[in-house]
Order: sequence, then structure tokens, then C-alpha cells
Amino acid sequence: MSKDIDLSVEFCGVNFKNPFLLSSSPVSNSAEMVEKAFDAGWGGVVFKTLNSGRLSIIHPSPRMNSINYGNQKEVAVQNVEQISDRPLKDNLMDFLYLKKNYPDRPIVASIMGFFEEEWAYLAKVAEDNGADMLELNFSCPHMSIEGSGHKVGQSFHLIEKFTSTVKNSVSIPVMAKMTPNITDMREPAMYAKNGGADAIAAINTVRGISQIGLDDWVPKPNVFGKSTVSGTSGPAIKPIGLKFIAEMAQCKELGLPLSGMGGIETWIDALEYIAVGATILQATTGVMHYGYRVVEDLIEGLSDFMAGRNITKITDLVGKALPNLQETENFELDRQGVVNFDMARCIGCGQCVVVCHDAGGQALDWDSEKRRPLPIEEKCLSCMLCQFVCPVQGMINYKEMPNSWQRKETAVRDSGVEKDVKYEVFNKEPPKVCSD
Amino acid sequence: MPVTYKGWRIWTVKYEDNFKTMPKGFGYAQATAEVNRCLLCHDAPCSKECPADTKPAEFIRKFRLKNVTGAIRTIKENNILGGACGVLCPTNRLCEKACSAKFVSDDKPEGADRPIQIGKIQRFLVEYAWQTGFIPIEKKDEKTEKIAVVGSGPGGLSCAAELAKNGYPVTIFESRPEPGGVLRYGVISSRFDMDFLEREINDVTALGVDIQCNSPIDKKAGAEKLLDDGYSAVFMATGLWAAASLKNNKNEIFGLYSSVDYLSALRDGRFNEMVENIEDKTVAVIGGGSVAMDCIQTASKIGAKDVYLVYRRSYAQMPAEPEERIEAMEDGVHFILLNQLTDYVVNKDNQIEGVKLVRTRLGDSDESGRRKPEIISDSEWVLDADVVIEAIGNTALENSPEWYPSVTVDEKNLIKVAPETGKTNVDGIFAGGDAVRGPALVVQAVQDGKTAARAIVEYLKN
Repeated sequence: MSKDIDLSVEFCGVNFKNPFLLSSSPVSNSAEMVEKAFDAGWGGVVFKTLNSGRLSIIHPSPRMNSINYGNQKEVAVQNVEQISDRPLKDNLMDFLYLKKNYPDRPIVASIMGFFEEEWAYLAKVAEDNGADMLELNFSCPHMSIEGSGHKVGQSFHLIEKFTSTVKNSVSIPVMAKMTPNITDMREPAMYAKNGGADAIAAINTVRGISQIGLDDWVPKPNVFGKSTVSGTSGPAIKPIGLKFIAEMAQCKELGLPLSGMGGIETWIDALEYIAVGATILQATTGVMHYGYRVVEDLIEGLSDFMAGRNITKITDLVGKALPNLQETENFELDRQGVVNFDMARCIGCGQCVVVCHDAGGQALDWDSEKRRPLPIEEKCLSCMLCQFVCPVQGMINYKEMPNSWQRKETAVRDSGVEKDVKYEVFNKEPPKVCSD
Repeated sequence: MPVTYKGWRIWTVKYEDNFKTMPKGFGYAQATAEVNRCLLCHDAPCSKECPADTKPAEFIRKFRLKNVTGAIRTIKENNILGGACGVLCPTNRLCEKACSAKFVSDDKPEGADRPIQIGKIQRFLVEYAWQTGFIPIEKKDEKTEKIAVVGSGPGGLSCAAELAKNGYPVTIFESRPEPGGVLRYGVISSRFDMDFLEREINDVTALGVDIQCNSPIDKKAGAEKLLDDGYSAVFMATGLWAAASLKNNKNEIFGLYSSVDYLSALRDGRFNEMVENIEDKTVAVIGGGSVAMDCIQTASKIGAKDVYLVYRRSYAQMPAEPEERIEAMEDGVHFILLNQLTDYVVNKDNQIEGVKLVRTRLGDSDESGRRKPEIISDSEWVLDADVVIEAIGNTALENSPEWYPSVTVDEKNLIKVAPETGKTNVDGIFAGGDAVRGPALVVQAVQDGKTAARAIVEYLKN
């Protein structure tokens, strides 16, 4: 590390030496595992969701599936993992071990009950055995029992009720973990706040179907001939996570600190979550893919970034991008631009020509002799598809055009058919709506 | 694993199985990773450089988009010997050369920094079809006109397959006991093995092509006779089975082989006999092409004490592929460059004892664009050798014009054809491959077969 950057954050009164936590999942299943993660540098852990012991937990087998794209493995992971299948006592003993040996690493206990007494019980035993904070699992995506997991997260009054129950049972801070399988997370987050939650964690996995077995028509993971809609995680869901965190961070009425997760693998992913309002971060799929060692790169990468920008504390970065996240009506649509090719660097693959013709503005011709695109500037839509496919980084860039510049309208294929067009200009106004 | 055997480093695996198998190709994961590296160029340069129009850009795109069966179909429909070409093609000077060479820029991003390994992907797809039992080509409605193909090498097989696809009943006449021509008798198994060859030939016979082995037509006017016997057209793809040699009466010298004899022996059951001749001996191979490389590679791996390669130009002018040259040197072959064979040294029993060489220097470029060797006077010397293999080019058999007396041939006995159709001067007789071109590539013979087949289809319509 180039400079000694302090990555510590305070979150609901709990101090973390860095903002990177394992999220509640198979990667935080036992003290043996968490210990390794702490040795690697993780700042804290949200321990795998505790089970009161009332119901025995048996994980389906196999329990996960990987979604690959091209040469990239685990672009997303699909899981039908349940909450901890370990006896509650074993998990609590592991809490004690970790607190004794890693006193500077907070333990957040994830809990999930089915009714008030169970929530209260789990909250209390977690606190009594060293948990520094609680995370209420309102979001496990493949619970089928009403009043549990994401079913709670979708029944807002239950969020308030169970949060309140927990708050009344313990004195440590309480964070509610939300499901993304709703339209707007601000509303359930407000219910959690009303129940007394000190923070919101989001997102849990997105309900999805990763893949269908084409030989047997069983989606994956194929649990002996059956599958289910279950949780999708990993880099593919990052845009969804960023969106929910940003919306909650922008909601002044909510005003709670946020723990962000969903597809964090690199320091850039982490920084993006911070920029839209998260203070602490959680990760699982990145660890499932690369191991606990990813934290070295999260720490080093973020530290070097901060050193390079003379930023001394993480809180200075929290919500940095929020002022620029606006509604489309605020866009300056009179400012327009085109793409600019640094043709000396072109290798001549012509992928830009293909996408411009088939999905863009037909603004690139092709010099087959020299194997180079021939831009027709006035037709460029600035869709940027050419840049996306270009293998030469930085060769195709956006260029703003002067105000006087006009994009050429897409030509009508055959103006000879004009006389046959059945058409009248639409000139009605929308019906008046009563407003205050 | 290389081990020392009788003081010489050999590759035990290859030695123990008499070089019967070639190294494994790409598996599914490797092939997928490689196609994912491809940039899927517009106006793709690789496809333009395949002499047989195998359309690499198209089959790679199909594979990339998980249309694996379609990718296989593209290969096999365009090149029935797509597997053989995938293994044997000098792709580094054809499709793969075009792949990255056309990217002229300061930048070499992933996908353009080194060529996509097109040959290996192609071989994988063909092997994958065999593995999964996928049959990419359907036969068309039966037609009645019978067609004869002479020679079951790449040109003959390609022509036969193309005609069979069009519904014509085709019979291939092969003089040797097994089909394949140069694919069977002209390459070594560690480069292209029999099992692979059998599978690829099966793809041809599965289309209904009948291959008659041990059926030479080299009686007088064999080709014309086929037309008289009711075949509507004849395609001659008889190859080049005589070896160029310094001496015409070389058969009387013991221990002197042509590359044709030597390589055939390794493939046709005389392997052990050849091992006895080579083991612990000093072998001199004359020539600088891929065939010479096959000769030195096998000689050194069989256990020759020393293997010398004698070439009259220098390293840079050798026609053999760079990898073959490097592999040979790594195997311990001694390259004697800028030396030209002038005569053989034999004892009283006509057993070879060495070769007389004369030193050369490089002069101006010749018509091939390579600098010409010029003999340095008074520089003659003798290289002792127990076995000498001449690999200085194949030629047409001396009597070959007698098989088709009405067909015009040139001074080297190569058949004259119209290149765009493969038509000879005789109505109904077509020709292609090495018998027309002189020594050329498998992939070029494949194209000749296709070209002639299409011309035959047109010819039969009229």
C-alpha cells in the first residue's frame, strides 16, 4: 500500500477498521471460516443467519448454480441455500471464540424468526454472546412459508412489528436487511425505521431462474428433478443494488445509515456503493468466486484511490454521486455530441461497423481496403455502441458538438410512398387531473 | 516424458506406440475460451485466406453464440476434410496469419495480440461431432449419373463428398490397399493419426461414396475407359508418388530412401523393419520442407544415433514451418545448412556410406523469392551416413500420362486444367490436387475437389 490510509468507519456507533464485511451467507458459516477472513483483512462479519433450533434446517443438494458469460465464470450465482443448519449453541460458541480472538472485528448477527417470540429470543442470545449488532433477515428469497424471509420484506407491517420486537429485546443496534423483490424499497425501509431500526442493509438476492436444463427441463440448481425460483447474486445484480441504495440514501425522510451489497468484487464496485450512499459494505459472491483474499484488493485499491484524491476518510465519499443522480426531465437535451475515433489506434476489426449498422445510426461506412470505419458524423446518434464493442480501450470517445450542430434525421427509405400514408397529426391534450 | 534410450533422448509414449497417435486437441472448455477471445470481425480476414473456403469467421461466430451444431455444419459443408485441415493446415500462413496480421495498429488488445487458434478450434468441432454423433450433412435426392473419382487422397475425397451431397453415386478407385492417399501414406502418425483419418473418411463414405481399394486404373487409358464403362464424368486426383532424386538408379543403393518410401513404410506395416534400419545409425535427410521435417523427426525419435538435415539454402529460406524446425532442433537434429548434395558414397556392395556435399553461399533471389544457393568451388566434403533419405520433392510417376493418354500434361507430367473448373482438354475428365498443381497443401486439394465437383454438376446438367 502506497500510503497508510485510515479506512475505518463508525456505523450505528460500532467501529469497523475497514468497511468490508462478509455478508450473511455460506462464506460466514463458522468461526473457522470467519477467522480466515479476519486474518485476510475483513473488517467485520455478518454471521450466517442463526436458526433457533425450532425447525431443523436441511440444505437442498445441490444448492447453487453458476451463471457464466463467455470466458467469465460466476457473473452471477443462483442459490437455494437456507439459513444456518448448525445448532444455535455451536454458532454462539463461535461468536465467543471470535470475540475473544478478534476483539476489534465486529460481529453482526443475522437472525430470522417466524413470530415475535422467536425474533426476540434470537436477538437476545446473539447479544448475550457477543454480537455487536443485529441484522434482521427480512429477505431470504426462497422461503415459502408466509411470514418468513422475503415474505416479511413484502409485508411491510410485519417488518415494523418484528423490528420493534427485536428493538425492545436488545440494546445493540439493529439493521433491517431488505429484499429487492419489490418495486420501491423506501416504503418498507420506513416501516423498519418506524419499528426502530438503526440502519438498513440491502440488497438480498434477486429472485430469479439462472438456467434451464435442456435435457430434462429442470431449472438449475437441479435438486433431484425439481428446482425453484431462488436468489441470484453477484456482479450481474450490481445495478439493482446500487439503485435501491441510491433511492434510500436520497430519501430524506428515511435518513438511516446504509450497508450496501450486491455484486461487490472490486474496490471500484465498493466505491460505487459508497458513492450512492452506503457506509459499510458486504460481499459474498466475490468471495465464493475468488476467496477471502479479495479483501486485500478492496483495501489496497480503495486506499490508493483515496490517497490519490487526498481523501482522508470514507465518510467524505459517502453519497458523493447522489447530487448527480436526477430525473431525465433535468437533462440538458440541447447539448448533443457524437463519437470521435482515434483512428491511429484502430486495429481494423470492424465490430463498430456491424453494431452501428444493425443497432445504431448507420453512421459508419467501411473501407475494406484499409480495414477502417469511415464515420459519418452527422448521422451519429451518440448511442456509444461502437465504443462498447471496440477492443481498443479509449479509442472511441464522446465529443460534445457546438450548439449549432444538427444531427441528420434518419432518412425515409422510400419517399415515393408518401401519398399512401394514412395519417393525421395527433393534437389532443391529456385529460385534466385534479391536483391540489 | 523424454527419457534417454541408447544414449538418445526419445519420447517414450510416442515410441512405444510407434507414433501411432497424435497429441490430443482442444477440449470443449479450451475451444470455448479461444472462440471467446475472437473479435468476430466485420469483413473477416481469416475467412478470405482459407484456400478451401472453410469460413472460419462463420464457424467461430456460430460456436461463440452456442450454435455448436451449426458451426460443425459450416465446416463440414464447406470442407469435408475439415478435421484433417484443422490438424495439418499451415494455419500460421493462412487463416491465422490473416487473423492478426491484418490488424495494423499501435494497439494490440486481447484478441488481436496473437491469432485465434483457428486450426485447433476447427479440429475440436469436427471431433466434437464424432463424439456426439452429430451428422451435419444430409444427402440430396438420388441422381442417376455415375461418377468415377481416381485417387482417395484429399482431392478425391473432397470431390466425391461434394458430388455425393448433390445426390450423385460416386465410386473412388484407389490403387493402394487403404484409402486416404497422402493423408495415410505421406504424413507421420504423430502428426495425423490413423484413427482420425478413418473417422474423417467415414464422413465421406456415410454420404454414400463407394471406395474401391486395390483398384488401380493404371492400365493404358484407364480414365478414358471409365467414361466408356458408363461413368458420366471422371475426376483424376492421383497425386505425386514419385520422389525427386539426384540419382535415377537409386533403388540399387542400399540405405538410400526417398521420403515417399520412408514415410509410407512407417504407415504400411513395415515400421519395425524401418526401426531396425534406423536405430543407432547415422541418418542424413536431404531437404528443407515439411516432409523433410517429418523424416528427421521420426528418425530421431525411432532412435537414430545422429540425424543430419542437409539443406542447400539457409535456415530462413526453409519451406518447413518454424515450429517444425524448432522442434527438430530441440530433438537434437543437426542442421547442415548451405550444403548441397552432389553424389552418394557407396561401398562395393552398393551399401550407402555417406553423401558428397558441396558448400554453397546465397546469391540473388530466384522466382520463389528466396535467395538462390550458389556452389562454392573446391569445397566438396563427405558426410558419413548409414541411411540417407531424400526429401526434395515429389513428382508425378513417369508412366502417369499413360493412364489418361488423351489428356494434356505439361513437361513435368502435371495435368493441365482450367483452374476455375478443373476441366481437362477431354470432355468429362476433370483433375485436381497435386497431380495438377505439383506439391501443394491438403487444403488446396480439398478446394480443387470442390471446384471440380461443382463443374461436374454443371457439366452433367448440359
